Parts: sequence; structure tokens; C-alpha cells
Amino acid sequence: MKKIINLTINDQAYEIAVVPNKTLADMLRYDLNLTGTKKGCDTGDCGACTVILNGDAVNSCLILAVQTDGAVIETIEGLATDEGLHPIQEAFVEKGAIQCGFCSPGMIMSTKNLLDKNANPTEEEIREGISGNLCRCTGYQKIFEAIDSQKS
Amino acid sequence: MLLPEFELHEPVSIEDALKLKKKHGKDARLMAGGTDVLVLLKKKVIFTDTIISLLQIKELSQIKESGNEVVIGACATMAQLSKSSVIKEKFGALKSSCDNLGSHLIRNRATIGGNCCNASPAGDTMPSLMIYDAKVMIESTDGKREVSIKNFFKGPGVTDLAIHEILTGFKLPIPPKNSGAHYIQLGKRRSSEINVVNVGSFLEYDPDTKTIINSRIALGSVAATPIRAQKAEELIKGKPAKEDTFYTAGETARKEDCKPIDDFRGSAAYRQAMIGVLTKRTLQASFEQAQ
Ligand SMILES: Cc1cc2nc3c(=O)[nH]c(=O)nc-3n(C[C@H](O)[C@H](O)[C@H](O)COP(=O)(O)OP(=O)(O)OC[C@H]3O[C@@H](n4cnc5c(N)ncnc54)[C@H](O)[C@@H]3O)c2cc1C
Ligand code: FES
Ligand code: FES
Repeated sequence: MKKIINLTINDQAYEIAVVPNKTLADMLRYDLNLTGTKKGCDTGDCGACTVILNGDAVNSCLILAVQTDGAVIETIEGLATDEGLHPIQEAFVEKGAIQCGFCSPGMIMSTKNLLDKNANPTEEEIREGISGNLCRCTGYQKIFEAIDSQKS
Repeated sequence: MLLPEFELHEPVSIEDALKLKKKHGKDARLMAGGTDVLVLLKKKVIFTDTIISLLQIKELSQIKESGNEVVIGACATMAQLSKSSVIKEKFGALKSSCDNLGSHLIRNRATIGGNCCNASPAGDTMPSLMIYDAKVMIESTDGKREVSIKNFFKGPGVTDLAIHEILTGFKLPIPPKNSGAHYIQLGKRRSSEINVVNVGSFLEYDPDTKTIINSRIALGSVAATPIRAQKAEELIKGKPAKEDTFYTAGETARKEDCKPIDDFRGSAAYRQAMIGVLTKRTLQASFEQAQ
């Protein structure tokens, strides 16, 4: 049975009816067309589906959409503005931290959450901060450099 | 991967959750963070048509100090435990278990109750709960009971919980003065889900005689459940707190307390050797802390 939930995604209020067996990742992608959030494994291993839920980065493939009633969610679509890309996105482009780009939305949301909580992370904290996000292409070093360049 | 259809209940009190569990019996699956349940449902390892979520029950996610013990609610998450000041100050080995479980994304959801009820032999929080001599708090519509964590695990995925029962939390006595504890896990990759070996130790010593008054050693990933290394614990009681003793404890734990198996993550021989090393190392670190 569908349940109506109210939540805020990227500063916009949504009211939507969802079935209990739908994950947050699927609701974002298939009901709201926010396809920036990717799905790689669907089992919590790859981090492609990372979004920020009430201030914490989480795997949206392991969260039931109905349980996000009242939540505040940030996805990759919320970062760029009319003025252009978010500084973290700029840094990823600049440093060559994006190859195929599949991991990038998740990687960037983990980065944003890391920097929101800790503006000046150490090398270890940066590596730890993206340890839940797998990248098949870059070898991580350029991603590390992009994040490092965004420290305050 | 699709989740099967199910009905979701989100009770706001323990009482309501217990009534629901009683009503639905074995057809209902409890869920906390869902990091095990949702994966197992997607992979069709488990089946259910009713899920009872515990996340709306506020008191289950509290961490409280009361008298000479700390009560940790079943739904406290790894991230929450890692940040808690009392856990940081008094239960360092548990903090390190929580810091090491999965990735930070998983740790924001994974709960301590879920970790224990999932009862993987390699689970990260269990050895630490065992060395702090935790009591598991259990409730059903018939009342409350407590069981020592050492008797809680019955096999892979099997615990002492009956069908109508819910694990509500853990009671951990505040460790005495002149004691220390340490946890080490070895895995293939730090953020990956399964440990190859994990060991926790607790040690209390007498500063006058420099001997060991009491110790608890817990071994993960080397039996069907996490286990206590009882032979090693007994052997070092009353012995001088120094490296030789810790080495002997490691040798005893390795030879007499565990019988690991070969699998694709590591051979039995490797696991056994590492039990020796990690037992010694965790005891040594516990002793350094105790001083
Ligand atoms: C990518 C990934 C990495 C992981 N890495 C690790 C790791 O490194 N170390 C590790 O130990 N685990 C790891 N896990 C497993 C999992 O995250 C942990 O076991 C976690 O602590 C489970 O907590 P949960 O709240 O998500 O449990 P849930 O999935 O909600 O529940 C787990 C089980 O416990 C039962 N249950 C939950 N709460 C209660 C309760 N209060 N009373 C009775 N029964 C209850 C459920 O019915 C279910 O059987 C990993 C999982 C994933 C997906
Ligand atoms: S799709 Fe969610 S972690 Fe891989
Ligand atoms: S850029 Fe291709 S997976 Fe990371």
C-alpha cells in the first residue's frame, strides 16, 4: 500500500506517494527523475548512490523511501547553481578526478559531507571520507588531489 | 535489484513493537538500520511479508550513563557510538570496533543491536561487547530478561532470542581503575564488510604486585560464533603483566582456544597464526592503557 510522505530535496518540498518496498535511490531516480544519483551494486558496497540525509552521507540503495518522511536530502543535482558548478565539482573537473564519471556523483556527495563537517581534513581523513565510494577508473589519486584542493 | 513486497510497521514504542512481534511471530522481520536486512532481502537470502522497523522508537537509540554502568540502546548507530564521549573515554575498544565497521556511509545507518542479532562470526562489535562483559537486554510481551553476551550467540545468524523477543540494549559495567582494553581487526580492505580475524582483549592489573587480576579475550572469525579464549584467560590470571605472559596467552589462544576454517578470505593456518599475534598485541596495548 502506498504511503504519502513529505520531504525536502535540494531545498525543494516534495509530497509523494511511495510503496514500502522502494529504496530511496529508486524513488529519486525513477519517481522524481533525479538520475544524477547512480546505482552500481544496490547492496551498499560501491557508494554510487550516496546522498546526504539529514546531514549524514548514506547509501540511498539501503534506505526505504517511506522512511524518509520529513527528511532533508541533498543530491548531486542540488550542487550546481545558475552561476555554474559547485566548487567541489569544478575541482573534480580541474584535477582530472572524473573519467567515466559513474562514481562522481557519489564521490562528490561524500566529499561535500566530509568538508561540511570538517573544513580542513588530513590526508587520512580525506581517504577515510571516500572509503565507501569505489572508482573503477581514476586510481583515486586525482580524486584525492581534487578534495585536497578544496580544504580551507 | 527489487525488494519483495512487504507491509511496513513503524511502531513508536517498545510496547507496540513487542505486540506487533507477538502478533506476526516468525513471519515478521525486525529491522533497525537495514544494512543487513535489505541486502539479504534483495539477494533473496531471506523472505518476509512484514517488516517491523525499530527506528521510530526514540529510547532505543539512546546511550546513557547510570551509576556504574552504561546502557546502550539497540538502535544506537556506529557513527553515534564513535562520537559518544562516554564510549570514547571509557570503552575505547568498542569505539574502535565501531570506527572499523564498513564504510562511513554504512556506519551512519548500521546499529549495534543489528550487528549482534545478525550474529556473523566476524561481526565487529561483538568481541568488544564480550570483553567489556556486556549484558544483553531482552524484552517480550511476557517481560524482560538479561543474558550475558558470552551466552548470546548460538551459531552463524543464530542468537538466544526467541521469536517474540526484541533486543532492547546492552548494559556495560564501567571498567575498573588500572584496566585497559583494545580491539584489532584484520580484513582484506578496511572498508570491506568481512574480517579475516578480529580480536579484543581486556586486562585489569594490580599496580602493587604488577600481576594480572583479570582478563577477557574475545576472538572473532575463528568459530561459528565469536568466542572467549577461556584457556588463555585462565592461564594468565595472577601472572606478571609483561610481554612473556602476553605471548603465552597468544600461544594458548592460538593452539587451544580456536579452530578456524579455510575460506576464500584466508586459510585456517593464517587465521590461527594471527590469533596468536593479535591476542598478544591487544593484551600488550590493554596493559599500556591500564598503566
Ligand atoms: C557494504 C557493507 C559493509 C559492511 N561491513 C561490515 C563490517 O565491516 N563489519 C560488520 O560487523 N558488519 C558489516 N556489515 C554488516 C552490517 O552493516 C552490520 O551487521 C550492522 O551492524 C547491522 O545493523 P543494522 O541496524 O543495519 O541491522 P539490520 O539489517 O536492521 O538487522 C540485522 C539483523 O538483526 C535483526 N535485528 C536488528 N535489530 C534488532 C533488535 N533490536 N532486536 C532483535 N533483532 C534485531 C534483524 O531482524 C536482522 O536479522 C556491512 C554491511 C554492508 C552492506
Ligand atoms: S548502489 Fe548503493 S552502494 Fe552501490
Ligand atoms: S571515474 Fe569511472 S568509476 Fe570513477
